[in-house]
This record gives sequence, C-alpha cells and structure tokens, in this order.
Amino acid sequence: MSTVVPVDEFISDEWYPGFTPGRTDAGVYTEALSTFRKEDEDRFWLLDFHYPRGMVPLGYVFPEDGICFCTQQAAEGLPLPTSGGLGVRMAGPHIYTSEVPVTSRWAVGERVERIQRTLPATLERFQATWADRVSELNRGLAYFEGQSFEGRDLGDLARLYEEAVVFHRRAWTIHFEIMYPLLATYVGFHGTCLELGIDAAEISKFLQGYDSKIMETDRGLWELTRKARTEGLTEVFAATDATDLNTTLRADPAAKGWVAEFDAFLQTYGHRTEGIADVVLTPWIDDPVSPLGTIRTYLSKGSDHDFAGARAAAVAEREQAIDAARGRLTLEERHVFDAGLAACTSANFAWWNEDHNHYIDLRAHIPMRRAGLAIARTLGAERPDDGLFVFRPELRRLAAGHRDWGGIRKLVDERRDYYQHWLARRPTMPKVLGTVPDDMSDPVMREIFGTNAGFFAAMKQLGGDTSQVTSLSGVAASSGVARGIARVLHGAEELHRIEPGEILVCEATSPNWTPAFAKIAACVCDSGGTLTHASIVSREYRIPCVCGVGIATSTIRTGDEIEVDGTQGTVRILKRAE
Amino acid sequence: MTYIRHLKDIATGDPTAGGKMSRLADLARAGLTVPHAFVVTTDAFQAVAAACDLPSALDRELAGLDADDSAGLARAEQRLRECLAGAPVPAALTEAVTGAYEQLCATTRDALLPVAVRSSASTEDAVASSSAGQYDTYLGLAGAPAVLDGMLRCWGSLFGARALSYRIRSGLSHLDSTMAVGVMELVQARASGVAFSLNPVTGRRDRVVVEATFGFGEALVQGVVTPDHLEVGRADRRILSYAVGEKQIVSAMDHRAGQVVEVAMPELMRAQRVLTDDEIGALVGVVLAAEEMLGAPADVEWVIPRAYRPGDPVTLVQVRPVTTAVAPPPPSWDAAASALKYAFKGMPQ
Repeated sequence: MSTVVPVDEFISDEWYPGFTPGRTDAGVYTEALSTFRKEDEDRFWLLDFHYPRGMVPLGYVFPEDGICFCTQQAAEGLPLPTSGGLGVRMAGPHIYTSEVPVTSRWAVGERVERIQRTLPATLERFQATWADRVSELNRGLAYFEGQSFEGRDLGDLARLYEEAVVFHRRAWTIHFEIMYPLLATYVGFHGTCLELGIDAAEISKFLQGYDSKIMETDRGLWELTRKARTEGLTEVFAATDATDLNTTLRADPAAKGWVAEFDAFLQTYGHRTEGIADVVLTPWIDDPVSPLGTIRTYLSKGSDHDFAGARAAAVAEREQAIDAARGRLTLEERHVFDAGLAACTSANFAWWNEDHNHYIDLRAHIPMRRAGLAIARTLGAERPDDGLFVFRPELRRLAAGHRDWGGIRKLVDERRDYYQHWLARRPTMPKVLGTVPDDMSDPVMREIFGTNAGFFAAMKQLGGDTSQVTSLSGVAASSGVARGIARVLHGAEELHRIEPGEILVCEATSPNWTPAFAKIAACVCDSGGTLTHASIVSREYRIPCVCGVGIATSTIRTGDEIEVDGTQGTVRILKRAE
Repeated sequence: MTYIRHLKDIATGDPTAGGKMSRLADLARAGLTVPHAFVVTTDAFQAVAAACDLPSALDRELAGLDADDSAGLARAEQRLRECLAGAPVPAALTEAVTGAYEQLCATTRDALLPVAVRSSASTEDAVASSSAGQYDTYLGLAGAPAVLDGMLRCWGSLFGARALSYRIRSGLSHLDSTMAVGVMELVQARASGVAFSLNPVTGRRDRVVVEATFGFGEALVQGVVTPDHLEVGRADRRILSYAVGEKQIVSAMDHRAGQVVEVAMPELMRAQRVLTDDEIGALVGVVLAAEEMLGAPADVEWVIPRAYRPGDPVTLVQVRPVTTAVAPPPPSWDAAASALKYAFKGMPQ
C-alpha cells in the first residue's frame, strides 16, 4: 500500500500578494514552476533543504531558471533515460522538488541509445570542459564584480539586470550540464565496486582528499585566524560582538595590517553568500559579519585546525583504501576497477561537488541581487532591500518606466509580511508531500537529496510518535564514532550558536556551513547520501557523519546527549536534555 | 567378472568402478597425488545383490510405497540396509577384498592401515548427480573384516529414504541402481578441505576458492565447521583474501573406536590460520591441474598430510567437474553501461 501525504493544505492560487502566476517571464523547458494542484499528489515532492528560507520575489528567477529550466535542459541534453530533470511546486515561498518523469517507452529507448554515446565522450573531455567553463564563469563574475551599481541610470541598471539574469541561467546551465554526467558516472562506479565485492563504506574514500575552492576558502579563514593571533587581535575579537567586528577592526590602528589582508581575502573569496542561490543574503564582501564571526569562533577555540594534516590523512586513507580494494581483486577485476577509478578521478564528482559552489551556487545570483536592489533604490524605495520583493516582470516594467515605485510600495510591505509568515512556518512544514514511491530515477534526487529506501522508511515512521525513538539509522557517510551534545539547527543563520565539540543535527548542510565542521564532533542530517555536502566535508574534516536519517531534526532536541556511529550509519540518543 | 580393480588398472570412464573412483584414477594417471586405493566393482555388488536376493526384498519392501510416505520410506530403508548388511558375501569376494587390503597395507608399510571406504556411484546414477553426499562414506576403518562391513553398508546406502523417494518420484527402477566402493588409504591429514577452480558464487573463472580446516575434511564437507575461506587470482596466483574461520569442531581419528569422529577443536587451534602461503600455492597448482585433466571447472577435496614438507604435492581425495555453472561475461568498465545499470532506477529491462 502506498503512503500518501496529502497536498491539500498547499493547494492554492495564492502567491505573494499582487502576483499573478504565468506572468513570470520565465522560459519553460518542459515543465513550468507552479503552485500545488490536487493531481500533484500522485507524484513525490520533497521540501528542498537547500533553500531553508524559501524565495523572495527577486529570487524566483532561481527556481524558474536555475532549477526548472536548467535541470530539464540538462536532463534532455545528456540525456537522463527516465528523468526529465526537476520540477518545482511552491508552497508559499518554499520549494518542493520532484523529478519530471519520462513515461514514453519509445523516448526512454532513444534516450538510452543517446547517453551511451554522449557519456563516455563527456567524461573524456571533462577536464578541458570544466577548465573552459571555469574561465567562462570567471570572466562573467569579473564583469559583474567590476561594475559599480551606484550612480548608474535606470537604463544601465535595466541592462545590467538583464545581463545578470542571462549570466545566472548560463551558470546553472553549466552546473547541471556537469553535475548529471559526473554524478551518473560516480553512481555507476559505485555499483560496479559493489559488484566487485568492495565494501560500500570504502568506496567513498577512493575520491577524497582532493583540494577544492571551498576548502581553499576555509584554509584562508584559518590563516587569517593565525595572523589575528600573532598580531595580538585575540582580545579585540573576544570583546567585540560579531556584528560590530567590521567597524571596530577598521577603526583600530593596530588591526590595519590584518584588515588589509582580510580585504585581499574578501576580494578573492568574499563574493559569496551564506546560502545557495539566495538573493536575500548579503555577500561577505558587502557585510563580512559571517567570516569575521567564524574567525572569532576559531580564535576562541584556541587550537588550530591542521589543514595540511587532515588533508594528508585523507589522502593516506584514500590510497590505503584503494590498495586494500585492489589487493582483493583478480587481475581482470583490477583492470575494471582501475579504469572506473581513473574515469571517476579525472571527472571527480566528490571534488567537483564542492569546487563548483565557489563559482555557481554561492555566487551566480549576486549580480541579480545588486541590479535588483539598485533599480529599487534608484526608483525611490525606502529600505535598501525593498528590491528583494519585486518579481522579474515587475522589475522590468519598473526599469522601463512603465510602472512607478509608488504603485508597488504597499505590495512590498505585504510581501515582507508574507515572507516572514512563511519563514516562521517552515520548521513545521511536511518534509515530503504526495505519493511516497519505491524508488526515484533522477540521480540528483536519489544521491544528493538522499531519497533512498531508508529515507522513505523514516518518512513513514514520522507519521507515528517519534518521541520515544532513541535509535535512528541512515547512510554511513563518514566513518568513526563520536559522543556529544546535540545542536539542532534549522538554518545557517544559527551556525554561530554551535559550541566546539557539539554534534550538529540539521536537515542538510550547504557549502556555507563548512567552517562549522572544524568545530563539531560529528554531523547528522535528515537528508542526503554519501555524496551530499555534509558527507564529503565530514570525510575531509575526518569526523563521523550519518546522512539520510529522515527524522533526526524532529526526534533529537538541542541538549540531548547522542552518539553518532558513522561507520554503521546509526545515531543513538543516550540522554534526553532536561 | 572382476571384483577388485587397483587404481592404476581403471580405464577412464570404466563403468564398473563408478564415477568417483574412475576420476581419481584419471588424476593419478595425470601425475597428481592421490591416496593408494582399490575399487570393489559393481560386479561385486551384483554378486552380493544376487546372494541376498535383493530383487525380492525390493519387491517386498517397496510395493505400493508412496514417494511422500516418510515413515514408510524410513522403514523400507532400514530393512533394505539390514538386508545388505547381513548379506552372505561370496567367498571369492571376501578373499579378493582381503587380498587387496593386505596389498594396500604392504604398499604403505602399515599392518593395520586405516582406510576410507567410499561409495562410488555409477556416473549415470540420477540420485548421485541430483545431490552430492547421498551415499555413505566410512573413515578410519582398519582390518579386512571392517572393510568388508563398510563395503556392505555403502551398498545399503543405495536405498536411503531420500534415494528411494527420488527414484519412486522419477519412475526409475531400483534394480538398475548399482554401486562400486572405493577403499583408499586414509591419508593422515594435518589440514583438509575443498577447492573450486572457479568462483562458485559468481560463476566467474577468474579465481580459485578454497575452504580449509584442520584434521580430516569430513566436518567441513558436512558443513558443521566454519572453515578458513580464501580466494586466489587465477591469472597471477595472488592470494586475494584469507578469512580465518572460527573452527569449533574437528574431524579426528578415534583409534579405540576405529573411526573418524567429530570432536571439539582444541581452544588454541580454533582461530589459527590453517594454510601457509606456500601450501596455498601448491594447492592452487593441483586444483588447476585437476581442471585441465577434467576439461571443466573442478570441485576437489584435498588433504595436506601430516608428513607434508614444503615442495610436496597436495593430495586429492576426490574431484568432480562443475558442469552447471555458466560463466557470466567478464566484468568490464563501461561508464554508460554502469550508469544505466546503477544511476537510473526504474529502467525498462
């Protein structure tokens, strides 16, 4: 019997106040973004953990273009045999994701034929392709990051906005153009390894220990921490609230040299936000409260994170795991293993899945944010972030002079309330909606969202009372055992609450959470598999991690004493908080 | 009519020696080391069957018996086994077996040589080929009277309940069943076990799979001990894995009882590794030689004698061709094929 989570409470024509669906100006690839309809109950929808705040109007370009258009385009391009990419339904500003099914048997047959030709060729060219894409992205980013959005006339800003929308879509086109083939290849290699009798826990080690742009950023933060300590800034950091650090340090003559280095760091790594594709968030370079807060925590921790040591250990573990696996294979099997490993090392999904965030996920939306906010400001908006509450077609009409700010002012206020209302509602929203399937076809849904059998089982369990549950299970994502006090977080904005040695419990992590991994003893996530961010980073930081638990955030409470066994994929609640 | 054949006199596929002993003779001819042995032929069985009027006994015990009547089958088994165990053995047969046994003693310089008395069913026997281990084996018998007794009990095992039921169900005649008996020197085993010249799980022929325990192989063959399990690459003869089993039971010679019995493995030996790398190398050599002799993947029972020295050959006590396994295609790396197989669920088959 199939489990169905009703969609009724989200069936609505209501979007943000004053907004008419169908007027989004978004190009549709195969399936447009919409609100929920009753017939959507036949499909399976997952509340997308990548966007814990949902989307403000200015940010709707992302689910429309970045998710719908770009995944559907990539799913056709490779193609994926049985998935047409991802579809989106909005519940208020929140994103539920599903795969767009490919149902025609003829189409599936043709797609199988095509991928057999395209995938090997794509892998063959991956290094060159990614180098090309990185330089393309860098050129685009440099173009926008070199622009001043102050004092430009409306026509300039309108043009910059259109360019920013085009760049954003191109960046996400690249994202899924690369992600699908790399992910599919890795999953294929994983299956081949299991077929060769290799232990599942070993396989993810084969691709670890390669340096990414995100790790490079974290290393930069640690170098700044070390520098702050040697320059005697520890006390200033300790005595100042994170939100005041920027002002205080810039006013402190003793910090002059350090601030110059920090600014240089921001020029390289500061064009990023504390979350994926979310225009609400202020980039580090505009407000460095987040990196300064991180440095402050690192300083208070006293000790240093030995990046070189952790990486050397990850590399040693990788080489040892590869040698051990090869040692158990026959000559013929070793040829197969070596060929698969070579393909996956050259087109390394685990590495790319971190690295690309630096160019795309944390960054590609920033030009749209700058242009949108600048247009609103130029038109006389009261608050600096009023532009966040304007949709793409409205912004175009405003910028073209067809509409004035006075006509939208009241709507902006209503939409602010609407956003806040749904933000508060988010923690209690169902993690899944619709018909819980036996399995999913889209590799992004299965491997990144972690919608596997264990996840579905946990979802069914959620229907019952979970307060008595003391033992949870999920995907063994990073080996080792750790005990500690749980810290349950629903969003990155709470990251600063984590105390060193605590165990992070959350829906999922994103690249902006990475600095926290140097502090925590272990990580537990509701979603994800061995390839999600939390798994990959836990392995790099060498802490235990269990993903795909499904009911961790609804069962574990902050203050509970828990034990995480990342080798077995289990979590035990040892002692409930008072 | 020949009651006795020595191993070296058995031609390939000699129907009077049964499948097991005729293959052992082939191994010996191929230069592999096997125990000293002789065979009591199917002709001898026919002589004994006639002497105890087996056809009448079969008619009497099996008339109207149903293949599913387990109580009736058990009763029939007991009576038929008694019939053969108490059969009057023709003097010529007693004399021949006694002579052959004494010859074996002389060859091995052991006046009271313990032997293994093994059923050697005819290669056409559907019961034997339907499932191994149907027929009796007696280990550690010594002296001609004990050998003769074991021989009769082996023949009695032709009429075990499962064999009777199988023949009734398949419409086979019980009278057509015939059996030779192998009498072979019981090699004093330091270690023994089984080996396959293919991976019995995947059917692939890229590895040799070995199971090993201390002492005689009986406890392992009967499945009462968790043996050491090891795998060796065929192409490069590399040891791919060696898992030491927790060996709780051992088959050992009980000299007072005159038979091999199962006893608790001494504590100190339970978690000990059975085979050295050199022994594994020697073993893989004979397994692959047996396969070449058979012209098919081999399933062997092997023994490393107590007196084994590095460089000595490993003794084979039994060999069977593995004919059922169809090797799957060799593994290969094909990114698209692997992705299609594993990355996208719900693919049309």
